Amino acid sequence: MKVLVAVKRVIDYNVKVRVKPDNTGVDLTNVKMAMNPFCEIAVEEAVRLKEKGVATEIVVVSIGPKAAQEQIRTALALGADRGIHVETDEEIQSLAAAKLLKAVVDKEQPSLVILGKQSIDNDNNQTGQMLAALAGYPQGTFASEVSVDGDKVKVTREIDGGLMTVSLNLPAIVTTDLRLNEPRYASLPNIMKAKKKPLESTTPADLGVDVTPRLTTLKVEAPAQRQAGIKVADVAELVDKLKNEAKVI
Amino acid sequence: MSSAEQLVEGLKLLVDEGKVKTDRDSLVTFGKDWTKIYEPTPLAIVFPKSTAQVQAIVKFANENRIGLVPSGGRTGLSAGAVATNGEIVVAFDSMNQILELNENDRTVKCQAGVITQQLQDYAEDNGLYYPVDFASAGSSQLGGNLSTNAGGIKVIRYGMSRDWVAGLTVVTGKGDVIELNKDLAKNNTGYDLRHLFIGAEGTLGFITEATMKLTRKPSDLTVLVLGLPDISNTMDVLQAFQQKIDLTAYEFFSHQAMQHVLRHSDISAPFESEAPYYALLEFEAVSDQVMDDAMAIFESCVEKGWVVDGVISQSETQANNLWRLREGISESISVHTPYKNDISVVVSKVPAFLNEINEVVTNHYPDFEIIWFGHIGDGNLHLNILKPADLPKEAFFAKCQQVNKWVFDIVEKYRGSISAEHGVGLVKKDYLEYTRSAVEIEYLRGIKRVFDPNNIMNPGKVIDL
Ligand SMILES: Cc1cc2nc3c(=O)[nH]c(=O)nc-3n(C[C@H](O)[C@H](O)[C@H](O)COP(=O)(O)OP(=O)(O)OC[C@H]3O[C@@H](n4cnc5c(N)ncnc54)[C@H](O)[C@@H]3O)c2cc1C
Repeated sequence: MKVLVAVKRVIDYNVKVRVKPDNTGVDLTNVKMAMNPFCEIAVEEAVRLKEKGVATEIVVVSIGPKAAQEQIRTALALGADRGIHVETDEEIQSLAAAKLLKAVVDKEQPSLVILGKQSIDNDNNQTGQMLAALAGYPQGTFASEVSVDGDKVKVTREIDGGLMTVSLNLPAIVTTDLRLNEPRYASLPNIMKAKKKPLESTTPADLGVDVTPRLTTLKVEAPAQRQAGIKVADVAELVDKLKNEAKVI
Repeated sequence: MSSAEQLVEGLKLLVDEGKVKTDRDSLVTFGKDWTKIYEPTPLAIVFPKSTAQVQAIVKFANENRIGLVPSGGRTGLSAGAVATNGEIVVAFDSMNQILELNENDRTVKCQAGVITQQLQDYAEDNGLYYPVDFASAGSSQLGGNLSTNAGGIKVIRYGMSRDWVAGLTVVTGKGDVIELNKDLAKNNTGYDLRHLFIGAEGTLGFITEATMKLTRKPSDLTVLVLGLPDISNTMDVLQAFQQKIDLTAYEFFSHQAMQHVLRHSDISAPFESEAPYYALLEFEAVSDQVMDDAMAIFESCVEKGWVVDGVISQSETQANNLWRLREGISESISVHTPYKNDISVVVSKVPAFLNEINEVVTNHYPDFEIIWFGHIGDGNLHLNILKPADLPKEAFFAKCQQVNKWVFDIVEKYRGSISAEHGVGLVKKDYLEYTRSAVEIEYLRGIKRVFDPNNIMNPGKVIDL
């Protein structure tokens, strides 16, 4: 069974994000970039499927600038077999990403596509669902457990107030939630091996996809500054403030 | 009024209202540091807000011949900030202002009560970097850092706290306010008194303000954790990397140490293969060249049998998690009432030194669990021995007294230090002569008498008069 995993290069989760002074977006100059955490989980799940003997080949795809090859190499070090880089310096919105992935799916014909439920840069939570619609595949989103059985995949989904388990016919789309697994580190020996794994480059034009943005960003603002805390003298004052100012008790 | 009450009343006149505390909670909290061995019995806790108020307190103490114990973030590990003798504790919590950033000089002037992390964050907010860092940075204060000359995890690249001080304002034990070095880069005008106050553990006077140097923020810090089959490989690997790469950290920990962290937290082991020791390396992966070098060195280390496995961080999150394997050790073993020692030798002697201590302790006390970790790139080892669950505390500590003797004999033999970075305080006082000669200690006493003739500054700590 072939598994396709999509990974995105985003601002490192630990970086304190700064908004550009002209409010057009987030400042990316000299900022540490890394693989989107939900994509790390997607890669890990694919690798586990391979270790279980369920998956036979893992293809990892990333859309983005030249440097996105770093994230593909990371995925290869983690256990993916080959990479596809859709190189573009354009801003890629969810729909464009889904269309590009659809083109890759058409070419590769994977049985399972695993994506993160969202990327932490824009928090859109759209690409997996759009890809499912475009490809006509069933989707299991927000996965906290994935098990493949014959030509079906069972996906446990985290939903409000509980868990829902769905059974999908393969080929299918799965998007990962935080609790699906705990990604491993890339080991140094595997990083060295990954250098020799094939990485193919393509472009939106090659894939015949128009990636022109459909949405315009009007303004990006930093969240309001949190107010500093205060010290209270005693329990009575605390209770008073909780009751009369915060009105929580 | 009793004389104790009179003293407290007199003290209240020197500082702002509400800034003298004598309630039981405050006395216990502010009367001790991270060491939990000594019973705190301070007379009162006072919170000055300026150098002038500190000076007034020192004069008052001289007049009344009462001891003063400087207290910072109270994370000290040598009982330097412990009041066991009815002293007045002078706490710097109300002197926590960052006073002035000078971008041209790349310095920042701070009051002594500024929290280490507050300084680090402030530097970063201004596009700069304060490199001294350790696990207690969220609580420790600059005054405490300087008074213990704190080291930490970046010493191999950035040195100790001492190396970052451009100038100090101090109040001597005699009650004089002096400005030391005036923030100059070059000032060869005789004895540099700044360096006497750094590491003095509050025995000469108070540090009330410090001008600290800042530097460029390192970029793309990348962390490697390597599994090593033998302790001597820590030196092989260090040498191999240092030939090509400037490391910003080189730490090690034993497998047992890591097991405690894994059991105690939600982080996972770096790789499946087990090794008796692990090395954690950090460097700036600023170019592909550096990464290629690191890979090549790793490969040759594996070939030579110095390394069995290794991982490299692919993101800051992963770098932080790998660091937690090292930084979480102290906390994860604290439930086992560890006997701790912070010792150093020159880097090249580390393996032989460590093996000798291991052998002596295991021969005599085979049921003791020994946990090793530390800043091995600086020759600095943290030796921790855990209390067996069935051994009562008193019996354990009694046996540890014996261990102390063996360990310090070995330290002396290897010309090492009985306290690499945690200071002397009360905990190491009786062992000072293992590292400092009797003649030298007599000079220390002489210096103390000059700055603090009435012995009011942290009396009984480091040396007796
Ligand atoms: C989890 C943990 C990890 C640690 N890791 C490290 C490490 O890696 N490296 C390291 O070096 N240390 C380490 N330490 C020890 C400790 O954090 C440092 O010694 C720290 O610098 C102490 O600062 P503090 O403000 O807490 O000082 P305190 O404990 O409050 O005081 C330390 C000494 O300084 C004196 N003092 C405090 N303020 C002043 C002042 N304004 N003027 C004059 N004297 C003063 C006190 O009297 C005392 O003698 C660690 C401690 C913990 C708990």
